[in-house]
Amino acid sequence: MLENALKASRLAPALFAGAALLVWFAPLFLDPFAANVLTRSLIYAALAATVDLLWGYTGILTFAQGAFFGVGAYATALTMTSFGATPAAILGALALGVLVPAALGALVGWISFHQNSTPLYASVISLVFPIVVTQLVYSGGAWTGSSSGLVGYDVLPLELEGFFRLAGLLLVAVVAAAWIFVRSDAGKLLVAVRDNETRCAYLDIDPKRIQILLTTALAAVAGLAGFVFAHASGVVAPENVGFVFGTELVIWVALGGRASLFGPVFAAIGIDYLSANLSGDLPFLWQLVLGGVFVVTIILLPDGAAGLARRAFGAARPRRVRLQTAETRAQTLASGPLLEVSGLARGFGSLAVLRDIDLRVSAGELLSIVGPNGAGKTTFMRCVSDGLEPFRGVIKIAGVSIAGKPPDRVAALGVGRKFQVASIFEGLTVVDCLRLARASREAPSALRASPSLSLPLACVEVLELTGLSGLLTSPARLLSHGMKQALELAMVLALEPSLILLDEPTAGLTKSERTLIGDVLKQLTAQAGCAVILVEHDFDFVREISSRIVVLHQGRLVLDGTVEDVTNSETVRAIYAGAGHG
Amino acid sequence: MLLLLDILSTAAILFIVALGLLAIFGVLKIINFAHGAWLTVGAYCAVLTARLGLNPWAAAPIAFVVGLALGGLAELIIIRPLYRRPLDAILATWGLGIVIGQLITLAFGRDVQFAPSLLPGTMRVGSVDYSRYRLFALAAAVVVGAIYAIAFEGTRLGLLARAVIMNETLARALGVSTERVRLATFMIGTGLAAVAGFALTPLTSIDPSMGVAWLIGAFMLVMVADASYLALAGASLAFGAVQVLVSTFVSPVLGGVSVAVLAALVLRLRPRGFARA
Amino acid sequence: MAEDEILALRDVSSGYGAVAVVRSVSLALRSGEALAVLGKNGMGKTTLLKTIVGLLPLQGGAIHIAGTKGPLSPAELVAKGVSYAPQEQPLFQDLSVRDNLRLALRRDAEFGRALEHVVGNFPFLAERLKQRAGTLSGGEQKMLILARALMLKPRLLLIDEISEGLQPSVLDRIAGVLRQERSGAALLLVEQNLDFALSVAERWAVLERGEIRDQGPRDAGARSRIIGRLSL
Repeated sequence: MLENALKASRLAPALFAGAALLVWFAPLFLDPFAANVLTRSLIYAALAATVDLLWGYTGILTFAQGAFFGVGAYATALTMTSFGATPAAILGALALGVLVPAALGALVGWISFHQNSTPLYASVISLVFPIVVTQLVYSGGAWTGSSSGLVGYDVLPLELEGFFRLAGLLLVAVVAAAWIFVRSDAGKLLVAVRDNETRCAYLDIDPKRIQILLTTALAAVAGLAGFVFAHASGVVAPENVGFVFGTELVIWVALGGRASLFGPVFAAIGIDYLSANLSGDLPFLWQLVLGGVFVVTIILLPDGAAGLARRAFGAARPRRVRLQTAETRAQTLASGPLLEVSGLARGFGSLAVLRDIDLRVSAGELLSIVGPNGAGKTTFMRCVSDGLEPFRGVIKIAGVSIAGKPPDRVAALGVGRKFQVASIFEGLTVVDCLRLARASREAPSALRASPSLSLPLACVEVLELTGLSGLLTSPARLLSHGMKQALELAMVLALEPSLILLDEPTAGLTKSERTLIGDVLKQLTAQAGCAVILVEHDFDFVREISSRIVVLHQGRLVLDGTVEDVTNSETVRAIYAGAGHG
Repeated sequence: MLLLLDILSTAAILFIVALGLLAIFGVLKIINFAHGAWLTVGAYCAVLTARLGLNPWAAAPIAFVVGLALGGLAELIIIRPLYRRPLDAILATWGLGIVIGQLITLAFGRDVQFAPSLLPGTMRVGSVDYSRYRLFALAAAVVVGAIYAIAFEGTRLGLLARAVIMNETLARALGVSTERVRLATFMIGTGLAAVAGFALTPLTSIDPSMGVAWLIGAFMLVMVADASYLALAGASLAFGAVQVLVSTFVSPVLGGVSVAVLAALVLRLRPRGFARA
Repeated sequence: MAEDEILALRDVSSGYGAVAVVRSVSLALRSGEALAVLGKNGMGKTTLLKTIVGLLPLQGGAIHIAGTKGPLSPAELVAKGVSYAPQEQPLFQDLSVRDNLRLALRRDAEFGRALEHVVGNFPFLAERLKQRAGTLSGGEQKMLILARALMLKPRLLLIDEISEGLQPSVLDRIAGVLRQERSGAALLLVEQNLDFALSVAERWAVLERGEIRDQGPRDAGARSRIIGRLSL
């Protein structure tokens, strides 16, 4: 509801200012015990917000934020222990408290996010990291205080109220920054990475880089929270680094509600404060109840308390966006062919899926690839768009070999690929999907949600022809199948690719939708200097729009010619009747 | 010689502890984060058995049955609803682990308990006197592994489990009741975990959170081994060796994390184990 | 549903989520009969089979199998003597030939007798029982698939594009087994290979964009009618 109010009106700056004021004056009304506990709770809430950014928004289930926090706290405490509370030492502690966790965050990110990594692997690494850090702390002897931790070091000359305010302002700052970011255009990248890493890659957005950058940045923020904590509490112990703390953060985010920021913040404050107050009487029962509620929440209420609030008060309505036609970038028309394939072969074990394929496609061509099932058509598309596929032979896009290049690097060469099953960002609105498709050409703002979006002419035409231009603020997951296909096509066109690869673009479309798509494709090749390669089974469609047809059979390129050549060919007839086996 | 026996017995213990988790990971494709709690349950069965004045070895079948029953309940109530959300299933099992841990604390208190020694004393092996129990653990690992292998390769349930591990969709298309296979596998996995917990009692102190330390090492081994119990044996041997060597020659504390770090590195280089996860 | 109809579809629609791939298909198969469902790629043949077998939800219409109103789960179908040979990844490559065959039955007890029965049709299997299925040649794997389907002594055989990528000699052999050795089982054969299909089935139907566009018996004009439908 709060989120709703914030989105619907421009009260945000006022509300954050109000929160800051609340935090400033609260210590005057709180008893020392409550103020002390709440200071800690506020710091933990800032941490919970970072976990929400990583897990709720970006889909990275991490248990390491607690460890980065602890490292920051230890770095601070160690510096203060060695140098006392001089201004230089305090600044030094601040620097170390932020930079050391950031460096470790980069390391953890680099290990967790690579070409073949999976979400499970990343989570596992985020679990191993705190364990390693804990053991390092234990083995540090007198220097790290081992199991007793570090105490008695000099701290910032603030009183209880001062630390409360510091913690509170930290929380307000972190949440405000996070909130601005997730509402901005660039913030949508997080959700895109969470929903569909593959689609990001094929839009020339490197999801791994985003994951690593986010991990590093939020490790720094956690370190900053650790710095404040070290001063406010005066004690830093191994429990602050351990993975148990890391899992508590995850639990608070789950209960408060993933991807809501405010849910985890209030859950953290509430649960931590309650824990401190109940601790005297019923420690184990409380943990038991919390654990039980956590399990139930995961199973029955995956969106947590914030999800309940959203259902009760309705989700916010997104703002309207204006479409504009962008100036197309100067087409450096390739003199040579856009796609050159020589001797392409691809096998899986003993099975040869593609054999000795030679193909040249130039700008202006509309090529259809046909062939019976198992002929290797989709494998071909995959090899041409993903240089990491272990193929033999040479594939060049605009004269550059793609061997060893991941999909985002190939997309950067000018390849746009549309998948058979519409690959879009289900968690975003139509316009956000399009804006992200444009991201590699026009970097989205990290501060605001722009009220307008410039798209290439062909893209705008597809949107208007299919009616998507009237559904810009609709969530993508609510679109019909045909509309999702259209959206994906529009996203690919927003990339302004020179080579467009389409895998069964008409699957599930109505006759009129098919005609529309056909017209757009013909226009693209005729006017914009693109080449289109499509895999299709609908032969009427193929006959209508293709300038050239290529027939694949059992991995070999059997025929390459005009529509008439192929339609009248005896070989092709025989293939489909089943006579032509090799 | 002493070092060799340390390595072998450490590997044996790692193997026994991780086997139940391996079974579950292979068939259900999830990591049971409550595995540590099941180890603890098994250990407390030993405590209870002693309190009731029974033969301490009776705790083994008791632990197995208790683990089995608890596993059945957990699979039906928690795992099954989360079939399509594997990461959430892992989180839910972590929550379950917390709940079980707290229930044990409420029942037995937080203090460290002790269970009777099962095979006290030492035995002469070659030129050294070695812990009789650790030698027994070595033998037990071989026996348990053999029984597991026979069940896996020879029985009908083992065949169904292998089919589900390899290709669940095809298994279902051929009429295999994949729900029942998952349930049975989970129950056997947790039963094994409880027995492993019982087996740990002579080697470690018993308190409600004892299982957590073993959990991490166990699941790192399982991820390196993927679904293969032979690979698990190999990994237990290799990583057990590293753990013992690092503990002996560098520092016991670092030895404790060597399994986790080594596994993380291995998986970074050869993510095959994660390809299905 | 008629007395001796082992499979009946009335206005069956199905697909993936909101996409209707199969629209209003009606067909019937009597005991012992063989029907070939032909059509180009993406026209709904595999979807149709998956719907009959319960792997895809029925979105409209009714299915009756062996006297029971569907949809039935794959396990229930096996209990009723319905055998399904899928097209994608139809074998456990890393399991032995023997283990692949064992999975066709619900109890290991019947394995010995069932094995004798299929080995009669495919003697080579007897020597390869311990071999991993993935090490067999393409044709041998297809024969293994067929053998597995026959282990059940099924009343109804549902086979999805078994002819794909096979040599003529293997095709002939498989066609022979399907024609003569299916012991009275009804057969629904989904195919792209027209000649193979017509050598086995006495009736045919062509599926185009999820609907049955043409059907008939295997008579003199059948081949050219079907070619007309299947070609570019």
